[in-house]
Amino acid sequence: MTTPTPTASEHRSTDDPRITLDEGVGVFEPIPPYPPRTEREAEFYTLGDGEMFINMGPQHPSTHGVLRVVLKLDGEKVVDLDPVLGYLHRGVEKLCENADYHQTISQVDPLEYISSLFCEWAPVTAYEKLLDVEVPRRAEYIRVLSGELNRISSHALFMGWFALDLGGLTPILWSFIERDEIVEMLAALTGQRMLFNYFRIGGVNGDLNHEFLSRLGDWMSRAVGQVEANTKLLNENEIFVRRASGLGVVDQETAIRLCMTGANLRATGIPFDLRRTHPYSIYPELEFDIPTRSEGDSLARYLLRMEEVKQSLRIIDQCLDKMPDGPIMAKLPRLLRPRPGRAWAAVEGPRGVYGAYAISDGTDQPFRLKIHDPSFIHLQAVGALLPGNLLADTMAIMASLDPVMGGVDK
Amino acid sequence: MDRAFKRRLEGRFAERLTGPVRQRHDETEIRIAAADVTDTLRTLHDDPAFGFEFLSDLAGVDTGTYMQVVYHLWSDTTSDWLRVIADGLSREDPRVPSVTFLWKGAEWMEREAYDMFGITFEGNRDLRRIYMPPDYTSFPLRKDFYLADDSARSPGAGVRHMERVHDPRNSTPGNTLRRARA
Repeated sequence: MTTPTPTASEHRSTDDPRITLDEGVGVFEPIPPYPPRTEREAEFYTLGDGEMFINMGPQHPSTHGVLRVVLKLDGEKVVDLDPVLGYLHRGVEKLCENADYHQTISQVDPLEYISSLFCEWAPVTAYEKLLDVEVPRRAEYIRVLSGELNRISSHALFMGWFALDLGGLTPILWSFIERDEIVEMLAALTGQRMLFNYFRIGGVNGDLNHEFLSRLGDWMSRAVGQVEANTKLLNENEIFVRRASGLGVVDQETAIRLCMTGANLRATGIPFDLRRTHPYSIYPELEFDIPTRSEGDSLARYLLRMEEVKQSLRIIDQCLDKMPDGPIMAKLPRLLRPRPGRAWAAVEGPRGVYGAYAISDGTDQPFRLKIHDPSFIHLQAVGALLPGNLLADTMAIMASLDPVMGGVDK
Repeated sequence: MDRAFKRRLEGRFAERLTGPVRQRHDETEIRIAAADVTDTLRTLHDDPAFGFEFLSDLAGVDTGTYMQVVYHLWSDTTSDWLRVIADGLSREDPRVPSVTFLWKGAEWMEREAYDMFGITFEGNRDLRRIYMPPDYTSFPLRKDFYLADDSARSPGAGVRHMERVHDPRNSTPGNTLRRARA
């Protein structure tokens, strides 16, 4: 059998094995194969004297997901960057418009796969506002309890990742010990290790059980010591501290203009934490501090998150102490048809403010559900923090802002 | 609900409001025309009596009859969230001024709204698609974009093609769109 020789005019798809190409196909060529769409794109993709492009991702191990960043370098200095998103886009908001209110909870779950509970919390609260339903107090306590556990597991993972991106392998192994313990705990409570699908409109899916409580009791008795031991690995490590301090500094005004929230904003000295500044759930009844730092660099962001872990342990202690009896679900019909209206709810997650804007048109499906994810905002801030830094610091700065690509790409 | 805040808003923006100030739970909502977005948000941001320095969210909405851009703002001068709705943008050519001059962080939120609804934010220096590929032509969150298995709502009661180029001439007849008073 003779193989037909392709001619230049013949149009073939790139996965045709018979194809012969003079040049590499270059799926991830840094320069896009179409004319620039905006001024900014034209400016970015024009090289100055001595500059070059480097394409990082979408399969780079330290991008924390499927992210592609085109970097414009001058020697080893980053001049500018252009993050290319969408590799993980699932169209969750559209899917939610075509699912009923209960189903949307499992749709938004995988957005933030490191701390799913917070991504459920915001839309669930928005729906409760639409329905004017009051959540039983026990359910609120369970929500806060499981939420704070989730926050600790998320920060534990952050600590490991951050150190890994700075070149230290040990902390991630250590932090996974704690994370695994918490994840097993939450699995006993919710039935899932990662995508919990636990919060319900008007309450939570299951009551506290023996396995969860005994695991939690076990862990709490040694948690403070473990956290101290883990943070000692890094806090007193001179290489780590000198590498991370002064890296990716952001001042207060810039942080607000960039719409940053969470620990990244508090690291600049602004005590903005929705649990105190715009109280929701039962947080007003609990005692805890909002730690802030004034440096605004990567080290400050890291230290703040470790400080938050200690505050979360305090909250968990109080929740267990004050846990009231009673129902865990409000009385609601199976099929929810909220009156037409709009509601916005926001909660403070480990990465910042998670928000949900829900519009009801009186049917059993939300007319529109907008999810606001802090990772999206913080990844955008990388573009403002990075220029002027070295290529090797790119990932360190990005990791210190702690974005999760599942939330960025929705 | 912050009743005093409602009175302050009515006193300051009386001539610009296109609807009543609505309050529910911990939210206060005002509606303005697209042309007033720049002035209103600048006043809300700069005036110390309001001090809305935090832009919490920017969302596009397709109500089925017209488009909206919704801003959620936070300030320590009130215990409420403020929702500003830029109302009544035409579905054929929705245009609204960009707020990137106040919040640089709004740039990607506006890109997202452009990508999903085709809303043009005038003054955004980088208004290109953010999630969908560059050669994509539909706007997926518009109400005339049907999912393949959404047969119940599609006018032909059958499976439609996923991608629809937004063009008023071949868009769905008005009475079959899902609409809401949003």
